[in-house]
Amino acid sequence: MLSRSSVRNAPRALAAGRRAMASAANPTFQYDVSEASGVKVANREVAGPTSTLALVAKAGSRYQPFPGFSDALEKFAFKSTLKRSALRITREVELLGGEISATHSRENLILRTKFLANDLPYFTELLAEVASKTKYTDHELKEVVVDLLKYQQLALSSSPENVAIDAAHGMAFHRGLGAPITPSESSPYEKYLTGDALAQFAQDAYSKSNVGIVATGPNSGEVTKWVGQFFKDLPAGASSSQYKVQPSQASKYFGGEQRIASKKGSAVVIAFPGSSAFGTAGFKAEASVLAALLGGESTIKWTPGFSLLSQATKGFSQLNVSTKNTAYSDAGLFTVTLTGQADQIAAASKNVVDALKKAAAGEVASEDIKKAVALAKFRALESVQTLETGLEATGSGLVHGSKPYQIGEIVQAVEKVSEEQVKETAKSFLSGKATLVSVGDLHQLPYAEDLGLTV
Amino acid sequence: MSAPSITNYIVKRPWLKRAMTPLANWYTDAAGYRKLGLKFDDLIPEESEVVQKAIKRLPAKEAYDRVFRIRRAFQCSISHTLLPAAEQIKASEDVEYLSPIIREIEKENKERVDLDNLVVRK
Repeated sequence: MLSRSSVRNAPRALAAGRRAMASAANPTFQYDVSEASGVKVANREVAGPTSTLALVAKAGSRYQPFPGFSDALEKFAFKSTLKRSALRITREVELLGGEISATHSRENLILRTKFLANDLPYFTELLAEVASKTKYTDHELKEVVVDLLKYQQLALSSSPENVAIDAAHGMAFHRGLGAPITPSESSPYEKYLTGDALAQFAQDAYSKSNVGIVATGPNSGEVTKWVGQFFKDLPAGASSSQYKVQPSQASKYFGGEQRIASKKGSAVVIAFPGSSAFGTAGFKAEASVLAALLGGESTIKWTPGFSLLSQATKGFSQLNVSTKNTAYSDAGLFTVTLTGQADQIAAASKNVVDALKKAAAGEVASEDIKKAVALAKFRALESVQTLETGLEATGSGLVHGSKPYQIGEIVQAVEKVSEEQVKETAKSFLSGKATLVSVGDLHQLPYAEDLGLTV
Repeated sequence: MSAPSITNYIVKRPWLKRAMTPLANWYTDAAGYRKLGLKFDDLIPEESEVVQKAIKRLPAKEAYDRVFRIRRAFQCSISHTLLPAAEQIKASEDVEYLSPIIREIEKENKERVDLDNLVVRK
């Protein structure tokens, strides 16, 4: 309920918000970067009773020596170590009321812990133990890890959208970033997975030069001390085994078309070379503005929103469109994803290309560009502030040697984007090679030729 | 389930161990399973969840050899013969390969029970 006083106070609240925006270099958003016994640590002091501590390792699917290694290493996190069993770790964490999880993306492997601030030493020790003392036994691989991996494959393959995004990466980057994030069910990944091989991969993946620690919480000053004490035993890296973390080769964009039949629904992904992460050479703020301008998903309930794609696909009720620039350390992929009924996807994908042509011709109201800039700014800032995305972005900056997120600079870069730049980006998308992936009912889904895209 | 034994009792007492070792060696040899080409760990009853799990955890080569030994012994038993002396298991080959895994699983189970009945005092 809106009370009268809250309405009366609204302008004041807005003014206060604006003042907060003006001092964009808010110190609580900044991470202090330091080093403790050879491990890079990023700290953010946040007042409150809980803390977060994450270990980000440069060991995502891009850097794995053989398919499935990143997945298996992720699933092996918090399993039996030389000091205690997986069960004991679980029970101890339950008793302390903490939360532990592990995920991996194309570039990073993230071990995340959240806990009451007083338990910082325990969880620092736990992360160090997982990184340096996990046993990687064959029976745990067979009894637990492989099964978990199969569930993950099922979860991914049952969503046509995920299949399409994965295939789009494969088409766009071939190897490296193009490697599937989780090996598909039909790929022969099992033959590579053994406990010994994983142990060797882990030794390199969790070496001092390959990991970064990201902490937020009230006592972040102590983090460096505890990390220095517990992370001493981490190997120094530079292993020569065939299972070592693969050296990163500069990503190159290829593009192409792929069609995958599926009974689980339909999806089309139209992708272009996008912007890499903030702080790297390939960062282009205009890509995120163009993503906001094309949009597709409304940020406000009960209205299609201002974005070009949501306007262009207003008539389709069984369709979901979204535009995103997925940024990596040296490349990015700008994707328009359409999911829903095959016939509507087929019709709407023509509208998508038309909308892109409109943007390239500069037939977009300058007010819309302003809205897109504001939305892009909000998204950039929000992704840093939100713990889930902020931790990975910061840790990724640490291990990839780029600048850690600096709020003020992102805001400036996005604000500087001009209409001309957006137009140029859209033009370059249309003139260059596109990536088109259709998954689902191929009888109805379009070819790139039909849409007027060059692949 | 590992086989019941009073080994610990004897090993702790050096004089007893010295006295018992020749006897034990004679007894094990006289038991005759080595003459059928079996190792002692092949005799552990399989019909329990713990041993089943342990057998599943054996490395592929060990598991294959185990089945081979058991089938060979079975053939010997049917034909009422012993293996030629060269093929019989020597005392030096009769080492534990399954028991360590069984003990590990028993430890895991015990830990689970202990943790499930844990009382937290603060």
